[in-house]
Amino acid sequence: MVRSLQEFSEILRYKELLRNLVARDIKKRYKRSTLGFLWVMLDPLLMMLVFYIIFSGLFGKTVGNYTAYVITGIIMWQLFAQGTKVSSMAFIHNRNLISKIHLPTAIFPIAIVGSSVAHFIFSLVPLFIIILFSGTIPSYYIPLLPVTIALIVIFSVGISLTISTLTVFFHDVVYIYDVILIGWMYLSAIFYPVTILPQKLQILMSLNPLYHYISLFRACIYDTTLPIIEHLIFGTAFSIISFAIGWTIYHQNRDKIIFYI
Amino acid sequence: MIHLQDISVRYRLIRERRSTFQSHLINYFKGKRMETETLWALKNISIDVPEGESLGIIGHNGAGKSTLLKVVSGVIKPVEGSVQVKGQIAPLIELSAGFDPELTGRENIYLNASILGFSRKEIDNKFDRIVEFSELQEFVDSPLKNYSSGMISRLGFSIATEVDPDILIIDEVLSVGDVSFKRKSMERILEFRKKGITIFFVSHNMDEIMTICSKVLWLDHGSKKMTGEPEAVISAYESYHMLPR
Repeated sequence: MVRSLQEFSEILRYKELLRNLVARDIKKRYKRSTLGFLWVMLDPLLMMLVFYIIFSGLFGKTVGNYTAYVITGIIMWQLFAQGTKVSSMAFIHNRNLISKIHLPTAIFPIAIVGSSVAHFIFSLVPLFIIILFSGTIPSYYIPLLPVTIALIVIFSVGISLTISTLTVFFHDVVYIYDVILIGWMYLSAIFYPVTILPQKLQILMSLNPLYHYISLFRACIYDTTLPIIEHLIFGTAFSIISFAIGWTIYHQNRDKIIFYI
Repeated sequence: MIHLQDISVRYRLIRERRSTFQSHLINYFKGKRMETETLWALKNISIDVPEGESLGIIGHNGAGKSTLLKVVSGVIKPVEGSVQVKGQIAPLIELSAGFDPELTGRENIYLNASILGFSRKEIDNKFDRIVEFSELQEFVDSPLKNYSSGMISRLGFSIATEVDPDILIIDEVLSVGDVSFKRKSMERILEFRKKGITIFFVSHNMDEIMTICSKVLWLDHGSKKMTGEPEAVISAYESYHMLPR
Protein backbone atom coordinates (compact mmCIF):
# COMPACT_ATOMS: atom_id res chain seq x y z
CA MET A 1 0.00 0.00 0.00
CA VAL A 2 2.74 2.42 0.99
CA ARG A 3 4.73 1.46 -2.10
CA SER A 4 1.67 1.97 -4.28
CA LEU A 5 1.20 5.47 -2.92
CA GLN A 6 4.89 6.23 -3.42
CA GLU A 7 4.59 5.19 -7.02
CA PHE A 8 1.45 7.25 -7.56
CA SER A 9 3.22 10.33 -6.28
CA GLU A 10 6.21 9.53 -8.46
CA ILE A 11 4.00 9.36 -11.54
CA LEU A 12 2.62 12.78 -10.61
CA ARG A 13 6.16 14.10 -10.23
CA TYR A 14 6.92 12.92 -13.76
CA LYS A 15 3.96 14.74 -15.32
CA GLU A 16 6.28 16.66 -17.65
CA LEU A 17 7.47 13.33 -19.04
CA LEU A 18 3.86 12.25 -19.47
CA ARG A 19 3.17 15.45 -21.38
CA ASN A 20 6.24 15.01 -23.58
CA LEU A 21 5.43 11.38 -24.35
CA VAL A 22 1.92 12.32 -25.45
CA ALA A 23 3.19 15.25 -27.51
CA ARG A 24 5.84 13.06 -29.13
CA ASP A 25 3.28 10.48 -30.12
CA ILE A 26 1.01 13.01 -31.78
CA LYS A 27 3.84 14.90 -33.49
CA LYS A 28 5.40 11.75 -34.84
CA ARG A 29 2.20 10.27 -36.09
CA TYR A 30 1.27 13.19 -38.29
CA LYS A 31 4.56 14.90 -39.05
CA ARG A 32 5.09 13.11 -42.33
CA SER A 33 1.61 13.19 -43.80
CA THR A 34 0.50 16.00 -46.08
CA LEU A 35 -2.81 16.61 -44.39
CA GLY A 36 -1.04 16.17 -41.07
CA PHE A 37 -3.15 17.06 -38.18
CA LEU A 38 -6.39 17.09 -40.15
CA TRP A 39 -6.26 13.30 -40.08
CA VAL A 40 -7.12 13.29 -36.40
CA MET A 41 -10.44 14.85 -37.31
CA LEU A 42 -10.94 13.10 -40.63
CA ASP A 43 -10.49 9.65 -39.16
CA PRO A 44 -13.73 9.42 -37.15
CA LEU A 45 -15.61 11.23 -39.90
CA LEU A 46 -14.60 8.70 -42.55
CA MET A 47 -15.33 5.78 -40.26
CA MET A 48 -18.74 7.21 -39.55
CA LEU A 49 -19.34 7.57 -43.26
CA VAL A 50 -18.55 3.90 -43.82
CA PHE A 51 -20.86 2.75 -41.06
CA TYR A 52 -23.52 5.13 -42.24
CA ILE A 53 -23.44 3.87 -45.82
CA ILE A 54 -23.51 0.23 -44.75
CA PHE A 55 -25.90 0.28 -41.85
CA SER A 56 -28.22 3.27 -42.15
CA GLY A 57 -30.57 1.28 -44.37
CA LEU A 58 -30.70 -1.49 -41.77
CA PHE A 59 -30.87 0.46 -38.54
CA GLY A 60 -31.52 4.00 -39.69
CA LYS A 61 -35.20 3.81 -38.93
CA THR A 62 -34.87 2.09 -35.55
CA VAL A 63 -32.76 4.87 -34.09
CA GLY A 64 -33.77 8.49 -34.17
CA ASN A 65 -30.82 10.56 -35.40
CA TYR A 66 -28.68 7.70 -36.69
CA THR A 67 -25.77 10.01 -37.64
CA ALA A 68 -25.30 11.23 -34.10
CA TYR A 69 -25.79 7.71 -32.77
CA VAL A 70 -23.01 6.26 -34.91
CA ILE A 71 -20.44 9.00 -34.55
CA THR A 72 -20.76 9.16 -30.77
CA GLY A 73 -20.37 5.38 -30.62
CA ILE A 74 -17.30 5.36 -32.85
CA ILE A 75 -15.52 8.21 -31.08
CA MET A 76 -16.02 6.70 -27.65
CA TRP A 77 -15.02 3.24 -28.84
CA GLN A 78 -11.87 4.62 -30.47
CA LEU A 79 -10.88 6.42 -27.28
CA PHE A 80 -10.92 3.10 -25.46
CA ALA A 81 -9.74 0.68 -28.16
CA GLN A 82 -6.90 2.74 -29.60
CA GLY A 83 -5.37 3.44 -26.21
CA THR A 84 -5.54 -0.07 -24.82
CA LYS A 85 -4.51 -1.76 -28.05
CA VAL A 86 -1.36 0.29 -28.60
CA SER A 87 -0.41 0.08 -24.95
CA SER A 88 -0.01 -3.70 -25.08
CA MET A 89 3.54 -3.10 -26.31
CA ALA A 90 4.17 -0.14 -23.98
CA PHE A 91 6.87 -1.77 -21.86
CA ILE A 92 8.51 -3.73 -24.65
CA HIS A 93 8.86 -0.72 -26.96
CA ASN A 94 10.39 1.34 -24.17
CA ARG A 95 12.77 -1.40 -23.09
CA ASN A 96 15.72 0.86 -23.76
CA LEU A 97 14.63 3.42 -21.21
CA ILE A 98 13.13 1.10 -18.63
CA SER A 99 16.28 -0.99 -18.41
CA LYS A 100 18.59 1.97 -18.07
CA ILE A 101 16.99 4.78 -16.15
CA HIS A 102 14.89 4.71 -13.03
CA LEU A 103 11.35 5.79 -13.94
CA PRO A 104 7.83 5.08 -12.77
CA THR A 105 7.37 2.40 -15.44
CA ALA A 106 3.57 2.66 -15.44
CA ILE A 107 3.97 6.03 -17.12
CA PHE A 108 4.35 4.39 -20.56
CA PRO A 109 0.94 2.69 -20.83
CA ILE A 110 -0.64 5.71 -19.14
CA ALA A 111 0.93 8.01 -21.75
CA ILE A 112 -0.55 5.91 -24.54
CA VAL A 113 -4.01 6.27 -23.03
CA GLY A 114 -3.17 9.96 -22.71
CA SER A 115 -2.50 10.37 -26.41
CA SER A 116 -5.73 8.56 -27.12
CA VAL A 117 -7.48 11.20 -24.99
CA ALA A 118 -5.75 13.94 -26.99
CA HIS A 119 -7.09 12.38 -30.20
CA PHE A 120 -10.51 12.18 -28.65
CA ILE A 121 -10.49 15.88 -27.82
CA PHE A 122 -9.64 16.77 -31.42
CA SER A 123 -12.35 14.50 -32.74
CA LEU A 124 -14.89 16.49 -30.73
CA VAL A 125 -14.56 19.15 -33.44
CA PRO A 126 -16.06 17.06 -36.29
CA LEU A 127 -18.51 15.63 -33.79
CA PHE A 128 -19.97 19.02 -32.93
CA ILE A 129 -19.96 20.07 -36.56
CA ILE A 130 -22.06 17.03 -37.43
CA ILE A 131 -24.34 17.54 -34.45
CA LEU A 132 -24.99 21.13 -35.44
CA PHE A 133 -25.40 20.50 -39.16
CA SER A 134 -27.78 17.61 -38.64
CA GLY A 135 -30.00 19.92 -36.65
CA THR A 136 -29.62 18.01 -33.41
CA ILE A 137 -30.27 19.83 -30.19
CA PRO A 138 -27.32 19.41 -27.84
CA SER A 139 -28.07 17.73 -24.54
CA TYR A 140 -28.37 19.60 -21.25
CA TYR A 141 -26.33 16.82 -19.68
CA ILE A 142 -23.21 18.20 -21.35
CA PRO A 143 -21.67 19.34 -18.03
CA LEU A 144 -21.33 15.61 -17.26
CA LEU A 145 -18.93 15.15 -20.20
CA PRO A 146 -15.75 15.50 -18.07
CA VAL A 147 -17.09 12.85 -15.68
CA THR A 148 -17.81 10.52 -18.58
CA ILE A 149 -14.30 11.00 -19.96
CA ALA A 150 -12.72 10.51 -16.54
CA LEU A 151 -14.60 7.23 -16.10
CA ILE A 152 -13.61 5.75 -19.45
CA VAL A 153 -10.01 6.93 -18.99
CA ILE A 154 -9.71 5.26 -15.59
CA PHE A 155 -11.25 2.13 -17.06
CA SER A 156 -8.80 2.22 -20.01
CA VAL A 157 -5.79 2.76 -17.77
CA GLY A 158 -6.77 -0.32 -15.79
CA ILE A 159 -7.02 -2.43 -18.95
CA SER A 160 -3.79 -0.92 -20.32
CA LEU A 161 -1.83 -1.77 -17.19
CA THR A 162 -3.19 -5.31 -17.30
CA ILE A 163 -2.50 -5.90 -20.98
CA SER A 164 0.92 -4.26 -21.04
CA THR A 165 2.12 -6.18 -17.96
CA LEU A 166 0.79 -9.53 -19.15
CA THR A 167 2.34 -8.99 -22.59
CA VAL A 168 5.80 -8.81 -21.02
CA PHE A 169 5.43 -12.35 -19.72
CA PHE A 170 3.18 -13.87 -22.39
CA HIS A 171 3.59 -12.26 -25.74
CA ASP A 172 0.49 -14.02 -27.07
CA VAL A 173 -1.64 -11.55 -25.12
CA VAL A 174 -1.18 -9.03 -27.95
CA TYR A 175 -2.91 -11.32 -30.44
CA ILE A 176 -5.54 -12.52 -28.00
CA TYR A 177 -6.45 -8.95 -27.14
CA ASP A 178 -6.75 -8.04 -30.83
CA VAL A 179 -9.38 -10.71 -31.26
CA ILE A 180 -11.14 -9.71 -28.06
CA LEU A 181 -11.34 -6.11 -29.28
CA ILE A 182 -13.02 -7.10 -32.52
CA GLY A 183 -15.68 -9.10 -30.72
CA TRP A 184 -16.05 -6.42 -28.09
CA MET A 185 -16.66 -3.76 -30.73
CA TYR A 186 -19.55 -5.68 -32.24
CA LEU A 187 -21.01 -6.23 -28.79
CA SER A 188 -20.95 -2.57 -27.83
CA ALA A 189 -23.96 -1.22 -29.71
CA ILE A 190 -21.94 1.24 -31.74
CA PHE A 191 -23.90 1.12 -34.98
CA TYR A 192 -27.04 -0.81 -33.98
CA PRO A 193 -29.58 -0.02 -31.27
CA VAL A 194 -29.73 -2.29 -28.21
CA THR A 195 -33.43 -2.72 -28.78
CA ILE A 196 -32.82 -5.02 -31.76
CA LEU A 197 -31.26 -7.56 -29.41
CA PRO A 198 -33.37 -10.25 -27.70
CA GLN A 199 -34.43 -9.36 -24.16
CA LYS A 200 -31.89 -11.73 -22.57
CA LEU A 201 -28.96 -10.18 -24.43
CA GLN A 202 -30.14 -6.71 -23.53
CA ILE A 203 -29.80 -7.59 -19.85
CA LEU A 204 -26.32 -9.00 -20.47
CA MET A 205 -25.44 -5.74 -22.18
CA SER A 206 -25.35 -4.04 -18.78
CA LEU A 207 -22.27 -6.16 -18.04
CA ASN A 208 -20.45 -4.52 -20.95
CA PRO A 209 -18.57 -1.52 -19.51
CA LEU A 210 -18.21 0.10 -22.93
CA TYR A 211 -21.97 0.07 -23.41
CA HIS A 212 -22.32 2.29 -20.32
CA TYR A 213 -19.56 4.70 -21.35
CA ILE A 214 -20.92 5.03 -24.88
CA SER A 215 -24.43 5.56 -23.52
CA LEU A 216 -23.18 8.17 -21.07
CA PHE A 217 -21.45 9.94 -23.93
CA ARG A 218 -24.62 9.87 -26.03
CA ALA A 219 -26.55 11.27 -23.09
CA CYS A 220 -24.02 14.09 -22.69
CA ILE A 221 -24.08 14.96 -26.39
CA TYR A 222 -27.69 14.64 -27.57
CA ASP A 223 -29.85 11.87 -26.13
CA THR A 224 -31.58 12.98 -22.92
CA THR A 225 -33.88 9.97 -22.83
CA LEU A 226 -31.18 7.57 -21.64
CA PRO A 227 -31.17 6.33 -18.01
CA ILE A 228 -28.12 8.37 -17.09
CA ILE A 229 -28.05 7.51 -13.36
CA GLU A 230 -27.94 3.79 -14.10
CA HIS A 231 -25.10 4.24 -16.60
CA LEU A 232 -23.19 6.42 -14.15
CA ILE A 233 -23.42 3.81 -11.40
CA PHE A 234 -22.36 0.92 -13.63
CA GLY A 235 -19.67 3.01 -15.33
CA THR A 236 -18.14 4.08 -12.02
CA ALA A 237 -18.16 0.52 -10.69
CA PHE A 238 -16.43 -0.83 -13.79
CA SER A 239 -13.81 1.94 -13.67
CA ILE A 240 -12.92 1.15 -10.08
CA ILE A 241 -12.79 -2.60 -10.68
CA SER A 242 -10.68 -2.25 -13.83
CA PHE A 243 -8.22 0.15 -12.24
CA ALA A 244 -7.87 -1.97 -9.10
CA ILE A 245 -7.16 -5.12 -11.11
CA GLY A 246 -4.77 -3.37 -13.53
CA TRP A 247 -2.82 -1.65 -10.81
CA THR A 248 -2.52 -4.83 -8.73
CA ILE A 249 -1.25 -6.90 -11.67
CA TYR A 250 1.23 -4.19 -12.63
CA HIS A 251 2.39 -3.54 -9.11
CA GLN A 252 2.87 -7.20 -8.20
CA ASN A 253 5.10 -7.68 -11.23
CA ARG A 254 6.80 -4.34 -11.55
CA ASP A 255 10.21 -5.47 -10.25
CA LYS A 256 10.16 -8.51 -12.54
CA ILE A 257 9.29 -6.60 -15.73
CA ILE A 258 12.87 -5.52 -16.36
CA PHE A 259 14.12 -9.10 -16.47
CA TYR A 260 11.57 -10.15 -19.08
CA ILE A 261 11.24 -7.27 -21.55
CA MET B 1 25.82 8.25 0.86
CA ILE B 2 25.35 4.84 -0.68
CA HIS B 3 25.22 1.66 1.29
CA LEU B 4 24.78 -1.72 -0.40
CA GLN B 5 24.56 -4.81 1.76
CA ASP B 6 24.96 -8.35 0.38
CA ILE B 7 23.44 -7.54 -2.99
CA SER B 8 22.68 -10.38 -5.38
CA VAL B 9 21.10 -10.03 -8.81
CA ARG B 10 19.93 -12.89 -10.95
CA TYR B 11 19.22 -12.84 -14.68
CA ARG B 12 17.37 -15.30 -16.81
CA LEU B 13 19.52 -16.37 -19.67
CA ILE B 14 17.49 -17.47 -22.67
CA ARG B 15 18.98 -20.04 -24.98
CA GLU B 16 17.44 -20.34 -28.38
CA ARG B 17 19.10 -23.25 -30.01
CA ARG B 18 18.85 -23.49 -33.76
CA SER B 19 16.82 -26.50 -34.57
CA THR B 20 14.83 -27.98 -37.40
CA PHE B 21 11.30 -26.86 -37.87
CA GLN B 22 10.10 -30.31 -36.94
CA SER B 23 11.89 -30.52 -33.61
CA HIS B 24 10.83 -26.98 -32.95
CA LEU B 25 7.23 -27.95 -33.48
CA ILE B 26 7.57 -31.00 -31.26
CA ASN B 27 9.14 -28.95 -28.52
CA TYR B 28 6.42 -26.40 -28.90
CA PHE B 29 3.72 -28.95 -28.26
CA LYS B 30 5.67 -30.38 -25.38
CA GLY B 31 5.51 -26.89 -23.92
CA LYS B 32 9.21 -26.23 -24.26
CA ARG B 33 9.33 -22.80 -25.83
CA MET B 34 12.71 -21.68 -24.67
CA GLU B 35 15.40 -22.97 -22.43
CA THR B 36 16.29 -20.65 -19.64
CA GLU B 37 19.13 -20.70 -17.22
CA THR B 38 19.86 -18.45 -14.32
CA LEU B 39 22.93 -16.31 -14.28
CA TRP B 40 24.10 -14.55 -11.16
CA ALA B 41 25.12 -11.12 -12.39
CA LEU B 42 26.09 -10.03 -8.88
CA LYS B 43 26.80 -12.21 -5.88
CA ASN B 44 26.92 -10.89 -2.31
CA ILE B 45 28.29 -7.48 -3.10
CA SER B 46 28.59 -5.04 -0.22
CA ILE B 47 29.92 -1.55 -0.75
CA ASP B 48 29.87 1.68 1.18
CA VAL B 49 30.42 4.86 -0.73
CA PRO B 50 30.64 7.96 1.42
CA GLU B 51 29.58 11.34 0.07
CA GLY B 52 32.10 12.86 -2.30
CA GLU B 53 33.91 9.67 -3.14
CA SER B 54 34.43 8.76 -6.77
CA LEU B 55 34.37 5.04 -7.16
CA GLY B 56 35.76 3.44 -10.29
CA ILE B 57 34.42 0.04 -11.27
CA ILE B 58 36.51 -2.22 -13.46
CA GLY B 59 36.25 -5.78 -14.69
CA HIS B 60 35.89 -7.91 -17.79
CA ASN B 61 32.82 -7.71 -20.05
CA GLY B 62 29.89 -9.23 -18.21
CA ALA B 63 31.49 -8.88 -14.81
CA GLY B 64 28.44 -7.07 -13.46
CA LYS B 65 29.60 -3.45 -13.67
CA SER B 66 26.54 -2.08 -15.41
CA THR B 67 24.26 -4.22 -13.27
CA LEU B 68 25.80 -2.70 -10.16
CA LEU B 69 25.12 0.79 -11.55
CA LYS B 70 21.53 -0.22 -12.27
CA VAL B 71 21.11 -1.36 -8.69
CA VAL B 72 22.45 1.95 -7.40
CA SER B 73 20.22 3.99 -9.70
CA GLY B 74 17.15 1.95 -8.75
CA VAL B 75 16.47 0.36 -12.13
CA ILE B 76 16.98 -3.16 -10.82
CA LYS B 77 15.82 -4.37 -7.47
CA PRO B 78 18.20 -7.07 -6.23
CA VAL B 79 16.75 -10.45 -5.23
CA GLU B 80 18.76 -10.37 -2.04
CA GLY B 81 20.33 -7.65 0.06
CA SER B 82 19.48 -4.08 0.91
CA VAL B 83 20.12 -0.83 -0.91
CA GLN B 84 20.30 2.58 0.70
CA VAL B 85 20.86 5.56 -1.55
CA LYS B 86 20.52 9.17 -0.44
CA GLY B 87 20.44 11.97 -2.96
CA GLN B 88 19.39 12.88 -6.50
CA ILE B 89 20.94 10.57 -9.08
CA ALA B 90 21.91 11.53 -12.61
CA PRO B 91 22.56 8.56 -14.84
CA LEU B 92 24.89 8.96 -17.77
CA ILE B 93 24.15 5.50 -19.04
CA GLU B 94 24.15 5.08 -22.78
CA LEU B 95 23.09 8.59 -23.58
CA SER B 96 20.98 7.93 -26.60
CA ALA B 97 18.45 5.75 -24.77
CA GLY B 98 16.00 8.61 -24.29
CA PHE B 99 16.36 10.26 -27.67
CA ASP B 100 13.92 10.12 -30.51
CA PRO B 101 15.38 10.53 -34.02
CA GLU B 102 12.23 12.11 -35.45
CA LEU B 103 12.15 14.96 -32.95
CA THR B 104 14.32 18.08 -33.09
CA GLY B 105 17.21 18.73 -30.75
CA ARG B 106 15.06 21.16 -28.81
CA GLU B 107 12.22 18.65 -28.40
CA ASN B 108 14.71 15.98 -27.43
CA ILE B 109 16.21 18.16 -24.73
CA TYR B 110 12.78 18.55 -23.17
CA LEU B 111 11.99 14.86 -23.55
CA ASN B 112 15.30 13.71 -22.16
CA ALA B 113 15.35 16.09 -19.22
CA SER B 114 11.82 15.06 -18.30
CA ILE B 115 12.98 11.43 -18.35
CA LEU B 116 15.39 12.49 -15.61
CA GLY B 117 12.39 13.83 -13.69
CA PHE B 118 12.55 17.57 -14.36
CA SER B 119 9.64 19.94 -14.59
CA ARG B 120 9.06 22.19 -17.57
CA LYS B 121 10.20 25.25 -15.65
CA GLU B 122 13.46 23.65 -14.54
CA ILE B 123 14.18 22.60 -18.11
CA ASP B 124 13.41 26.12 -19.39
CA ASN B 125 16.02 27.42 -17.00
CA LYS B 126 18.67 24.92 -18.03
CA PHE B 127 17.94 24.96 -21.73
CA ASP B 128 20.41 27.63 -22.84
CA ARG B 129 23.25 26.19 -20.81
CA ILE B 130 22.62 22.73 -22.23
CA VAL B 131 22.73 24.00 -25.80
CA GLU B 132 25.79 26.10 -25.10
CA PHE B 133 27.78 23.27 -23.59
CA SER B 134 26.85 20.91 -26.40
CA GLU B 135 27.93 23.54 -29.00
CA LEU B 136 24.98 22.56 -31.16
CA GLN B 137 23.30 25.99 -31.43
CA GLU B 138 22.81 25.81 -35.19
CA PHE B 139 21.31 22.33 -35.11
CA VAL B 140 18.92 22.69 -32.24
CA ASP B 141 15.85 22.88 -34.49
CA SER B 142 16.80 20.03 -36.81
CA PRO B 143 15.58 16.50 -36.22
CA LEU B 144 18.03 14.27 -34.44
CA LYS B 145 18.20 11.85 -37.34
CA ASN B 146 20.34 14.46 -39.12
CA TYR B 147 22.86 14.52 -36.27
CA SER B 148 26.07 12.53 -36.29
CA SER B 149 26.50 10.03 -33.48
CA GLY B 150 29.13 12.24 -31.90
CA MET B 151 26.71 15.16 -31.87
CA ILE B 152 24.04 13.03 -30.23
CA SER B 153 26.36 11.96 -27.45
CA ARG B 154 27.44 15.56 -26.91
CA LEU B 155 23.81 16.54 -26.46
CA GLY B 156 23.22 13.63 -24.09
CA PHE B 157 26.24 14.46 -21.99
CA SER B 158 25.22 18.10 -21.78
CA ILE B 159 21.71 17.28 -20.60
CA ALA B 160 22.76 14.72 -18.01
CA THR B 161 25.39 16.94 -16.47
CA GLU B 162 23.22 20.06 -16.26
CA VAL B 163 21.24 18.23 -13.63
CA ASP B 164 23.13 19.26 -10.49
CA PRO B 165 23.02 15.76 -9.10
CA ASP B 166 24.24 14.47 -5.75
CA ILE B 167 25.32 11.24 -7.36
CA LEU B 168 26.59 10.94 -10.92
CA ILE B 169 26.62 7.57 -12.64
CA ILE B 170 28.83 7.25 -15.69
CA ASP B 171 28.88 4.09 -17.76
CA GLU B 172 31.52 4.03 -20.50
CA VAL B 173 30.36 7.17 -22.19
CA LEU B 174 33.51 9.22 -22.39
CA SER B 175 34.75 7.34 -25.42
CA VAL B 176 32.38 9.34 -27.60
CA GLY B 177 32.73 12.73 -29.16
CA ASP B 178 35.82 14.34 -30.64
CA VAL B 179 39.02 15.10 -28.79
CA SER B 180 38.08 18.59 -27.69
CA PHE B 181 34.66 17.53 -26.44
CA LYS B 182 36.21 14.61 -24.61
CA ARG B 183 38.56 16.97 -22.82
CA LYS B 184 35.65 19.27 -22.02
CA SER B 185 33.61 16.45 -20.54
CA MET B 186 36.56 15.20 -18.52
CA GLU B 187 36.99 18.72 -17.10
CA ARG B 188 33.33 18.83 -16.22
CA ILE B 189 33.50 15.51 -14.39
CA LEU B 190 36.55 16.65 -12.43
CA GLU B 191 34.63 19.81 -11.55
CA PHE B 192 31.85 17.64 -10.16
CA ARG B 193 34.44 15.78 -8.13
CA LYS B 194 35.76 19.01 -6.70
CA LYS B 195 32.23 20.04 -5.75
CA GLY B 196 32.00 16.91 -3.62
CA ILE B 197 29.54 15.02 -5.81
CA THR B 198 29.63 11.24 -5.46
CA ILE B 199 30.65 9.57 -8.70
CA PHE B 200 30.30 6.01 -9.97
CA PHE B 201 32.51 5.53 -12.96
CA VAL B 202 32.68 2.48 -15.19
CA SER B 203 35.35 2.40 -17.85
CA HIS B 204 37.82 0.14 -19.58
CA ASN B 205 40.21 3.05 -19.94
CA MET B 206 42.55 2.81 -16.96
CA ASP B 207 43.95 6.30 -17.51
CA GLU B 208 40.48 7.79 -17.12
CA ILE B 209 39.93 5.73 -13.98
CA MET B 210 43.24 7.00 -12.57
CA THR B 211 42.32 10.61 -13.31
CA ILE B 212 38.79 10.53 -11.94
CA CYS B 213 38.59 7.96 -9.17
CA SER B 214 39.63 8.02 -5.55
CA LYS B 215 38.84 4.35 -5.05
CA VAL B 216 38.44 1.38 -7.35
CA LEU B 217 36.28 -1.75 -7.18
CA TRP B 218 37.24 -4.73 -9.29
CA LEU B 219 34.42 -7.08 -10.20
CA ASP B 220 34.97 -10.55 -11.57
CA HIS B 221 32.04 -12.76 -12.63
CA GLY B 222 29.69 -10.90 -10.32
CA SER B 223 31.87 -11.05 -7.25
CA LYS B 224 34.05 -8.49 -5.58
CA LYS B 225 37.65 -9.35 -6.45
CA MET B 226 39.43 -6.43 -4.91
CA THR B 227 38.83 -2.91 -3.71
CA GLY B 228 41.16 -0.14 -2.69
CA GLU B 229 43.47 2.60 -3.96
CA PRO B 230 43.32 3.05 -7.75
CA GLU B 231 47.02 2.31 -8.32
CA ALA B 232 46.98 -0.92 -6.35
CA VAL B 233 43.77 -2.31 -7.81
CA ILE B 234 44.56 -1.34 -11.38
CA SER B 235 48.03 -2.88 -11.32
CA ALA B 236 46.62 -6.07 -9.81
CA TYR B 237 43.86 -6.11 -12.47
CA GLU B 238 46.32 -5.53 -15.27
CA SER B 239 48.76 -8.19 -14.14
CA TYR B 240 45.86 -10.60 -13.64
CA HIS B 241 44.81 -10.11 -17.23
CA MET B 242 48.44 -9.63 -18.29
CA LEU B 243 47.82 -6.30 -19.91
CA PRO B 244 50.99 -4.45 -20.71
CA ARG B 245 50.73 -0.84 -19.66
